Parts: sequence; C-alpha cells; structure tokens
Amino acid sequence: MIVTLHLVALALYALATALTLAPFMGFRSAPRALTIALPCAGAAVHVVAISQLTLIGLGPALSMLALCLVLLQLASERLLRGSAVSFFAGPLATGLVGLAILSGLTPGAEVAAGRNTWFILHVALSVLGLALLALAFIAAALYLLQFRELKARRFGQIFQLFPPLERLDQLNRFALVAGFPALTLGVLLALGYGAQFSGGLHVAKAQIVWGIFTWVVLGWAVWVRVVRHWAGRRAALASIAGFSAVLLVYVALKLTQPGAERFL
Amino acid sequence: MGIKVVGVNHRTAPLDVRERLAHGAHEVPGALARVMAAGASGGVLLSTCNRTEFYLVADDEPALEAVWSLLGERLPTGPSPEAGAREYGYIARDRDAVRHLYRVSSGLDSMILGESQIQGQVREAWEASRAQAGPVLHRLFQTALHVGSRVRTETSLGMGTASAASAGVAVAGKIFGDLAGRSALILGAGDMAELAATCLSDQGVHITLVANRTQERARAIAERLGGKAVSLEEAWPHFATTDIALCSTAAPHAVVTWERVGAVIGARRGKPLCILDLAVPRDVDPAIAQLENVFLYDVDDLQTVAAQATARRRDEIPAAERIVEEETDLFWAWYGGLGVVPTIKELRARMDDVRAAELERALRQLDHLSPDDRAQIEQFSQALLNKLLHQPTIALKQAAEEGRGYGLLQAVRRLFGMEPPA
Repeated sequence: MIVTLHLVALALYALATALTLAPFMGFRSAPRALTIALPCAGAAVHVVAISQLTLIGLGPALSMLALCLVLLQLASERLLRGSAVSFFAGPLATGLVGLAILSGLTPGAEVAAGRNTWFILHVALSVLGLALLALAFIAAALYLLQFRELKARRFGQIFQLFPPLERLDQLNRFALVAGFPALTLGVLLALGYGAQFSGGLHVAKAQIVWGIFTWVVLGWAVWVRVVRHWAGRRAALASIAGFSAVLLVYVALKLTQPGAERFL
Repeated sequence: MGIKVVGVNHRTAPLDVRERLAHGAHEVPGALARVMAAGASGGVLLSTCNRTEFYLVADDEPALEAVWSLLGERLPTGPSPEAGAREYGYIARDRDAVRHLYRVSSGLDSMILGESQIQGQVREAWEASRAQAGPVLHRLFQTALHVGSRVRTETSLGMGTASAASAGVAVAGKIFGDLAGRSALILGAGDMAELAATCLSDQGVHITLVANRTQERARAIAERLGGKAVSLEEAWPHFATTDIALCSTAAPHAVVTWERVGAVIGARRGKPLCILDLAVPRDVDPAIAQLENVFLYDVDDLQTVAAQATARRRDEIPAAERIVEEETDLFWAWYGGLGVVPTIKELRARMDDVRAAELERALRQLDHLSPDDRAQIEQFSQALLNKLLHQPTIALKQAAEEGRGYGLLQAVRRLFGMEPPA
C-alpha cells in the first residue's frame, strides 16, 4: 500500500513536471491551474503514504524530503509567485520519490514512547532544513539563469517564464536564512537524542569532520547574506556553494559508509 | 517619371548602420536638395530609428544613384561607399512604393507590429519635406496618414502595449519585480523620453530627475511627473543610487560613458541598475554593460521584447492588409487619372496638327475644288480624326477610373512620341 501510494504520488509529480517543462520542449504551456493541481494531488497522496511510515532509514527520509520540497514549491508558487521553482523542484522531488521507492519503503518499528517527540522534531527539522536549502539552491540557480539571459539580452523562454531577479533573490534569502537554523537545530536534536537515549554519539569521525565542514560552508553562505549584505549573483553563488557542499558530503559519506538503514 | 522609395530599414540594416544613415530634421532639406538636383521632381525623407527612406517622384537614374551616393557617404569609407549603402537597401517602384508607405504608416512594416509612433513620424517627415514634396507626394503622404488612422480604428492592430517604452517597463519588471517605489532618472526631454517616463510613472516608479541639455523642456516633464530638472552634468552622480536610467537624448554620440559613470556605478555595491537606451544614435557606451549588475538595453533589444508581446496583433494583419490594398487601389486610380485629361488633350492637339498639315498639303494639290467641296473635305478629316481617337479616349478614361490608367498612359505617350508626364 505504501509503495502503491508512493507510485501514485510519483506519477502525479512526473506528470506535473512534464507539463511544467513543456514550453521548453516547444509545446504549449499547460493551464496554470493544472500545474498546481497535479502536485497538490500528489502531495495529498504522499502525505497519506508518509503517515503510514516510520521515519527511520534512507527511503522514508528521502520520501519526506521530497514531500517537503513539493510543499515548499507550492508555497513559493502561491506566496512569491515563483512558479519557475517547479522547473527544478518538480524533477528533484520526482527523483527523490523514485529513489525512496528503490531504497525500500516498509513500515518500520515504532520508536519507543518518550523518545518520539525528540525523534520527530529531529527528522522534521533536518528534512525541512534540507528542503529549504534545496529551495535556496533552486532559487539561486534560477537567478543565475535569468541573470545570464538578462545580461545577454536574450528574451526567450527563460526570460518569459522565470520570475524577476529581485523575487528570486528574496526567495533565496528566505530559504537560506530559514534552512540553515532548521538544519542546525535538527542536527543538535540528533546529538541530544544520542546523548539522552543512546548513551552517547554513535557516529564515525568522518561524519563529524565532514558534517562540521558542511555546516561551516553553509554558515558562511548565511553570514555573507545576512551580515555582509551580499545580494544578487554573489549571494546566489554562495548559496549554491552551500548546498553543493551538503550534497557532495552526503554522497561521499554514503559511498564510503553505505547502508540503507539510516539516512546518514 | 514614377513614384519610388529607396532606403534601409530594420529588416535590411543593423542598428549601427541605421544610426549612421539616420538624418536629423536639420539635414533633411539639404539631402533632398541633392536628390532633386539629380532629377527628382518631388521628394520626402522619412528618417526614424528604424528606417531612412527617400520617397521620390523620379526616373530610376540618376536620382536613385544620388540617394545611394548620399547614404554611402555616411558609411565607413571603402572602395565604393554607395555599394555599401545599396547592400543594406531596397527600392520599391510605383504601386509597390505606394503600398509600402501605406504599410509603414499603418504600422504593418514596423519592428513592433502596429506601433503608433510611426504615424507621427510620417507626418513630421511630410511636414519637414513640404517644400520639396510636390503634388503627388503631398497626396501620397496625406492619404498615408488616412490609411494609418483607418487601420488603427477599424482593426485591433494598435491595441495593447507594444512600444519600446512599454517593453522597457517589462524588462525593468524582470529585474526588479514590482516597480512601485523604484526610482528613475531620465536623460533627455524629447517625446520618446516623455512617453517612456510616463510609462514608468504609471507603474509607480518615482521619477527623481529629468536631465537635459536645455532645462526648459526638462522642467516641464519634471513638473508633470514630480521630479527635478537638472543639467546632464548634474545627473552623473545619481547613477550611484537610481534603479532605472532612461536615456533618450538627441545627442549625436554616446553621452553616458565609462569615464562619466563607471566609477559612480561601481559604488553601487552590486545593486542592480537597469539602463534603457531609447536613443538613436545610442546614448550609452555599450562598455557600461560590462559592469556587474548593470542591465543595458538599447532600442533593438526593447523592440525585440515588444515584438514578442505583440504576437496576438498578428491576427489583425489580414484585415489591415485589406485596407492597405483598398487604399492603394484608390490612390493608384487617382494617380493614373491624374495624367489622363492632359494626355488626351495633348494627343488630340497633336493629331489635329497632323490632320491640319496633311489637309493643307492635299488641298494645295486640289485647286480646282470649290469652297464647298473644300469645306466638305475638311469636315471629313475632322470626323475621321474624331472616329479614330474615340476608342483610345474612352479606353484611357475607363482605365483611369479602374486604376489602370498609369500603365496605359505611359504606353500611349510612348506610342505617340509624347514627353513622359511629370
């Protein structure tokens, strides 16, 4: 049932993504209502699927991340009129759901009572933080593409369909500034959880070292935005550097310490 | 002689060539005088940022050669300057020339389909060339303005925003999002500057400064839009703070140069600056665009944007073309009929001279005839001439009414050895 629901969500996300990207392939733009309704329906099915999962392991975490990303995409669509976010968020969320299905999605064992709040907060904040950083990355990428088109005086599909630079910059700033503390808090909750319920930290040195490295890079990206008042292209590049560090470190750690039983 | 149009436009020549070939209002009489000296009997010069066209009543040579030579002199010198101009140019003759002007005035030939500014430019060109236009071109330009009005009232070709100015607003919107509360400085105080400044103001942009060489006109615009009038020199420091700079001066060279604003813009610390250069020749040194966060757009860029926004106007093209064709027929009927009456009169006079000369020669050899007989013969010759000229006269009048008079008239004049009509 969980896999079936994920497959339905995957199909809806994929269809929404195809419709969103249609203008870039020479087809007519789909009605806006449809490109919003499809991911909404997908997210609804996805919520039902996730409610039946215990959020332990790689598959559930990826699924949760995909859901957060879709919800943020819909929010940015609604609040910031940043419809182009779906150009990146759509394929990314679809890919993450696909990976989640491939990684294995089965109902896990219940977390012991009393530990539940810590655990849910840790997972929710970490995944939300990652999704926000992904959104910051997407906004930054859209910014750089639109910036390049505007500087090069090209007035094609990107010029027409992408949001204004200023709006993308605002979206990037919001997502980065909200995502970094959320992820930091999520990690701190994991440390607290480990200390309180597992008798200490059970992580490899590599995870600590690379985790700190990622945190420093992300922290730098936030610092230059907030303290140094970077904006525009430089801020977008810093944001991309931050999210790239997260991705690279994650992939490197998964390659050196494989295993689907845990997200990290 | 016939109606000709010779020139270059946005389809045939790039912006830098059009800039060189553009004629200011003060240059028009001199340019036309040169072409008239080469044999044209009438001329109007239409010079806008998108086209430089000579409308002439002339033979093909040498008036057309004079135009190519005149335009060629403005291009970088080479082995044959007129060949350079010809490379970018075109010629339309007679009916095609009439249709061309009608399409121009109705906005069908504009870079931004259906734009209305051309109507005013056609009127200005006609007025600037009044002394040299002559009766045919007077009539042609008068009707061209009528065609432009008809197309705009009877079709939706001019509906919506499709000007370079409105495209400038759209581009600025892609940089800043909501334009309300943004600041803009305006360089220049001409019609285009005023139109674009009004477009920005309508979007909530605060027009802070209007800078111009002469402050009187700048003051009028500044007062209307709530800004302050300053000289050009006073405007440069404001490039450090303004969001949008709109440039549309009549300067013959770039006024916004790296030397004047490079350091000032550098002090913006990455804050975006949108520069809309609506002037031809361009006001802004293209090197300024190399500065980070400076977005510079010239007329060609903005017209490209506007052209995209006007795709729906294309549906109105067939209706507009029908009006142009209808009016071209009417003008051509008038033009064809213009020479018919004098030609018929001249033809009859010429034939009558021949008749009289031949009659006199014949009667000299017929001395024995009585005066009554002589009168009979003269009456016969007159009747014969009338009979012979009846059908050609009817045919010429009928062709003129049907708008085919011009071609037939030319044929008649050639067949009977008459001078071509003016």
